Parts: sequence; C-alpha cells; structure tokens
Amino acid sequence: MEMVNITINGQKISAPAGITILKAAQQAGIDIPTLCNHPALSPTGACRVCVVEVEGQRTLITACTFPITDGLVIQTESPQVVKARKFILDMLFSERNHFCMYCQMSGDCELQNLGYRYGIDHWVFPTYTKGFPVDATRKYFLMEHNRCVLCGRCERACGTLVANHTLGLRNRGAKSMIHADANLTFGDSSCVSCGTCLQVCPTGALCDKRSAFMGRDEQTQHVKTTCSHCSVGCAMEIVTRGGNVMKILGDWDGAVNGGVLCQHGRFDPLYDERTRITSPLIRQKGKLVPANWDEALQVVAKRLGKADAKSIGVLASSNVTNEALYLLDKLFSKEMKVANVGLLNRAAPRLFEKPQGSLADIEKSDVILVVGADPVKDQPVASFLVKRTVDRGGRLIVVDGEDNGLAPFAYMHLPMADTGKAVEIAGRANNPVILYGTGAPEKTVNALKKLQGKAAFVALEQGTNTRAAVAFGFANGFKPSAVKTLFLLLGEQDGIGVEALEGIGKGAFIVVQASFASPLTEQADVVLPMAIWSERSGSLTNTEGRVQKVSKAVEPEGEAKADWEIISLLAEKMDKKLGASLEELSARATQNIK
Amino acid sequence: MKKAQTMDKKVKDIIKKYYGDKTAMIAILQDVQEEFRYLPKETLSFISKKMDVPLTRIYEIATFYNAFSLKPRGKHTIEVCLGTACHVQGASRLIDRLERDLSISSGDTTKDKMFTLEEVRCLGCCSLAPVIRISGNVHPYLTQDELPKILRNYK
Ligand code: SF4
Ligand code: SF4
Ligand code: FES
Ligand code: FES
Repeated sequence: MEMVNITINGQKISAPAGITILKAAQQAGIDIPTLCNHPALSPTGACRVCVVEVEGQRTLITACTFPITDGLVIQTESPQVVKARKFILDMLFSERNHFCMYCQMSGDCELQNLGYRYGIDHWVFPTYTKGFPVDATRKYFLMEHNRCVLCGRCERACGTLVANHTLGLRNRGAKSMIHADANLTFGDSSCVSCGTCLQVCPTGALCDKRSAFMGRDEQTQHVKTTCSHCSVGCAMEIVTRGGNVMKILGDWDGAVNGGVLCQHGRFDPLYDERTRITSPLIRQKGKLVPANWDEALQVVAKRLGKADAKSIGVLASSNVTNEALYLLDKLFSKEMKVANVGLLNRAAPRLFEKPQGSLADIEKSDVILVVGADPVKDQPVASFLVKRTVDRGGRLIVVDGEDNGLAPFAYMHLPMADTGKAVEIAGRANNPVILYGTGAPEKTVNALKKLQGKAAFVALEQGTNTRAAVAFGFANGFKPSAVKTLFLLLGEQDGIGVEALEGIGKGAFIVVQASFASPLTEQADVVLPMAIWSERSGSLTNTEGRVQKVSKAVEPEGEAKADWEIISLLAEKMDKKLGASLEELSARATQNIK
Repeated sequence: MKKAQTMDKKVKDIIKKYYGDKTAMIAILQDVQEEFRYLPKETLSFISKKMDVPLTRIYEIATFYNAFSLKPRGKHTIEVCLGTACHVQGASRLIDRLERDLSISSGDTTKDKMFTLEEVRCLGCCSLAPVIRISGNVHPYLTQDELPKILRNYK
C-alpha cells in the first residue's frame, strides 16, 4: 500500500494513498464532524457538515468523500470552516421541525450534538410552520419526517446493506422526502422490517416504538452476543436498562452479518407474548404444581436412575447452546448409554466431512446456486448477502419450488429435477457457491457433489444450533414407540406442539425443559424452567461451523436457569461428575464440534 | 385486460429500443411519457421488473425531473411563460385567466383531459413576450382576452 504524507491542522500524518481525508484524520485521532457519513455505508457527501479547508482548492471540501494525495495541507476547524459548518447547521435545523425536547433521540442525536458543538442556540432562518407527515404504519418503528435531515443513510443501508431497495429519496430541493417504493406507506411497502435503516438514522426521524423515551444511551448497558433465532449467527448487542431489555442492535463488527440483522433477530424477541415458566413444576394428583429445583431434579433423577436405557428417549430443540448439547450428549448418550435421541428439526444433508466454504464466499461468487433452501424465510440475513451479490452482477439460480422467497431475484428458477442443468452452469462459473438445505433430495445432493473442489458449499441449516446438534449425534432419527421416559429439551422453541409426543405411549414419563408454557408443557410430568436468549451465557455454532459466544444481559425470570446449567445440575443429582465451569464446558463442547 | 396488454407491449418496445440499458432510464421514461403523456404507475412497476431496477429508484428519477408527470395529463399542455420578460409584460394575468376559464390551478389537468396548465421559466423567445406555448405552438404577444379563442382551436 502506497503511503502519502499529509498535514492536518499542522500535524504531519502518513496514511495510505486514496483513503478519504476523514479516514486519515480518524486514524490520526483528529475528529472531523460528520452527519450523512456512516462507517458501514459508502460516502455520498450529502450533508456538507464535514467540510474542511484544503490548501490550493477553490472551495471547501467534504472530508468524507475526498481521497488524499501526497502533500495535502488540511485545516479542519479554521474560522472559514467553522463559519461554513454553522451555516450548514443553521439550514439543517430550519429545513424541518426539530424540537428536541419532544424527541426520543434527544441526548443521542447526532444533529443535536453538532448543534451543541457549534453553539447553534437559535434559529437563524425561519422554520416550517406546517408539520411534515409521520408514518406509523410499520409495526416496530415509525418515520417522523419532521426530524429527517435527508442524509440518505437509511436509503443507502436499505439498498446496499440489505439489498432490499425499499427506500428512496424523491423529488429535489426543499421538496425532497424519504419514501418507500413508489411512495407507498412503509407498512404497505416491500420493507422486510430488518430495522437496519432505524439503526443508522442519526436523528430521531426513524424511531423505535418500543424503546423510545426509555432512556439515553449513557443510561444503558450494551452486551455483545449472538442472535439465536437462526443458524446464520448474527452478532448483536442487547441494550438494557435497569435489568430490562430495551432494544437489540446489530454489531457492526459482526463476522457474519457486519451489523445487519433481520426482523426475527432485532424485533421479534422483544415482542414475545408467550407466558414464561418461572418455577419448576411437578405433576401431583394429575396437576402441575410448583416445586423447588431440588425436588424437581430429584424426581427426574430418580426416574432416570431406575429406567432401562432402552426405554429412555431424548429430544432436543436446536435452539440451545453448545454447552447444553454437549452435556445432554454426555449425560444421556455417553454415561447412561441412551441411544434413542433426536432433534426437533431436520438437518441438511451432509455433503462432505469437512466444511467446503463459508457465508463470506457468497459475496465473492459470480454464480449462486440455492438448492432446497429458502433463506428469505429461514435465514434472512443470508438472503441479504445473496441479494447484495445479485445487485453486483452475480447470477442467482434457484433450484426449488415456486414459492421460494429468492425466486423474484433469480436469473433462473429450476425444479429439483433440473439440478443437472444448474450444476452445469455453475461448473462454468469462476467462483460458484452452493447454498443447500433440507429440501434437497439425495439425488440432487449427489449431483451437487460433482462441483466439489470447484464450488464453495454452505449448508443453510434450519433451526439455530443444528450444526452442533448434528455433531453431537442428535439428528439420527428418533423412535417414539419404545420410549417410556422422555427428556424433551424444548427450550424457547416456538411452533412445537403436542404432535412432538406422537407415538409415545400413554403412560410415559415426560420431562420438559422449557422457557414458555405451552400445550406441550401441559403434558409433562416435570417441567424445568429455562432461561431465554437474553438470560444465559454460552456459545452457539452457526451453519458454517463458526462457534460464537452468547452472553447473559439480564437475570433469568423467576427461577429459570441456563439450559446447560439445568443439565449439569441434573447430572449432579444423578451422581455423574460432569460439573465444570462454563469456560471448561465451552472448550470441551467446541472440541467436539470441530 | 386488453388495455394493460397494449400498455405493457408499448413499454416493452420502448425498452427494447434502448436495448434494456439501465443507463438509458431517463430516455426510456421520456418515451413512455410521450406515449402516455404521463408515467402511469403500472408502467413504472413494469419497467422495474423488466429492467431489474428497483421501483424506488425509478420513482426517484420520475419525481426529480419536472419533465415527468405521475398524474395523467391533458391532450394539450399549456405552458405559460413566467420568465422575466413575460412577467414584466403581465404574464401572471394570463395564468389567472386560464385558471379561471379552465377551473383548474396551475399544474393540474382539466376534467375532460384536454388541457394541462403549467408555468415555465423563459421559453427563450423574450422578444415575443408575453407568450404561451400550447402543444409546442408558440402564441406571442398575448392578452388575456385572446385566450378563449385560442383554446377553442385546440378542442
Ligand atoms: S430518516 Fe434518518 S437516516 Fe433517513 S434521511 Fe432522514 S435523517 Fe437520514
Ligand atoms: S427495515 Fe430494512 S427493509 Fe425495511 S426499509 Fe429499513 S432497511 Fe429497508
Ligand atoms: S459527512 Fe461528509 S458530507 Fe455529510
Ligand atoms: S421570459 Fe418568457 S420567453 Fe423569456
């Protein structure tokens, strides 16, 4: 990388040629104010707040867009620059109706901060006397046009990060407005409610309905963790205040998602209305009654201790930590020699022993084959990566049913029977990537194998921690008929009803480890209350095999405990020495997954 | 059904004329506007699908330029010049009169879809001020009393 020497505010700096003045200044610890610029988005130079003086240039220059060359002499806070910035801020404050005392972003607003920094204490230009519209048609957040500064961050985020292209900036001059599609309400638009635009908006224009007015950022704690909704494993931050989860943010440093989340990761967990189970329950005289942990575990341990290994069955949800799966395997399969174990969701066919690609390969590819998987539905952030690649000219071939969510973006849509054709096309590409899922039948899978060595392969697993569950042998097919004692690790999984017990004899003893009350827990003899995503630490394995940490942000509700902790306590009750610290468990679990 | 088909067909031909080139979007929209005298919403969605350009982007272009209209327009466009020379010569009276006679305000289209009334800045023939242009024909040195007769000729 060629380095050049420049001078900023008299300070000599050496930086890579071609990076922007803003980046060079940031690297040297010099703060140039910005508004429309965002590290995750390409610069557009819309707001002009970042203007600086560059020797030899006729006018002031926007630092966020100007690439550096050798010998540049730059002033970032000269009187001329400050005057220009004040003028720009005066105009920005007059362009819409900014009344900070009514705004939920007050204290965290980038525009307000600039106002303070440059002493904007009154309106120089008249403001609007009429209000701009507010669009509250979306479920999770609203658009308050009165506070929009037309920086276009939201539009760029929607277009380039999510590749959803819902947002646009219509008209021009004073009539400019952010709109959705061909000026639909946001609720009726093509928006997928990923909330990426919400996260990048520098002002109070895009407003989260749930966390608005619940406190400033400095009053909150941020805990980095991994989303446990699907197998992509997006990095995110849980924002809490006083022990309550306020909102979820995408983590810009996220290895897989780079800051983007989907509706299921960002919003849905905060709107879960299911009833929590807050204490262990034991069936007595036909009714489930609260008990303490000791009693409940005792009952389970006793039952398991007496039972014949052949009559015990274990069913696990994939939405549990590596540590829980490790202990479940260790306790039941290894110690108690239980062979009848199963997973609540299907796993993708295993093509190769070793991983042959990662999600990062999607964006490097020129042809993407999606076979028997629907990431739009099941792994939304992976679908964003695919759509981003299509935007850049990558060819998408969908081999799946008519209703596949990626079909509208595909250059070719083929039925399973034509897999051969797809394989042929991918074979001619430079960097093909194959994304396959549970929908791919064996014949198709074998056809895909022809591309080994040529293509990158990524299984798009259903569920969350399916990859780890498979590694621990939980996806072997479960035979309900022989089961007289069932340990069901249901966790917080939704959408699993009593049909999970189909085929299990009437008198069977059923232990359910679950977070929420459901018709299924109603059937149990013992219910062990489990902590949910925000209340437990541990790790998850994503669909590529990447092991990522999850961290507890708030205390478990009632007496609920982390998934692995419950199994560890149960083992202890059965006098099996599995107990270890979380770190140790994580290390052992990870070893098994690799 | 029939109407939609012919509309799609016409737009398809226009796109073909430009080899579906995304960078020719403005030219394509201009041709569509010429064909239908405005940009019907369905044509925008159609172009979006056919050319793989997000609808929101097409909408940005269609609203950025004054030349494009998203509302149906009359058979004839009346452009009243309000440039400096025409303004000095009393062009605002012309627009007042037209608004009154046609019962619409500037920018709108008459109910019978005959006329769309528009203000423009300088038609480039200031020596003829005040002027209006109807469907491309320049009418020079106007007084408002002459307007009804001129409009009748276009009906
Ligand atoms: S809504 Fe927010 S991000 Fe979008 S243009 Fe307005 S101020 Fe910028
Ligand atoms: S929520 Fe996501 S899809 Fe919807 S407008 Fe914002 S960035 Fe686009
Ligand atoms: S931050 Fe540079 S122009 Fe907006
Ligand atoms: S001002 Fe009307 S033609 Fe120039």
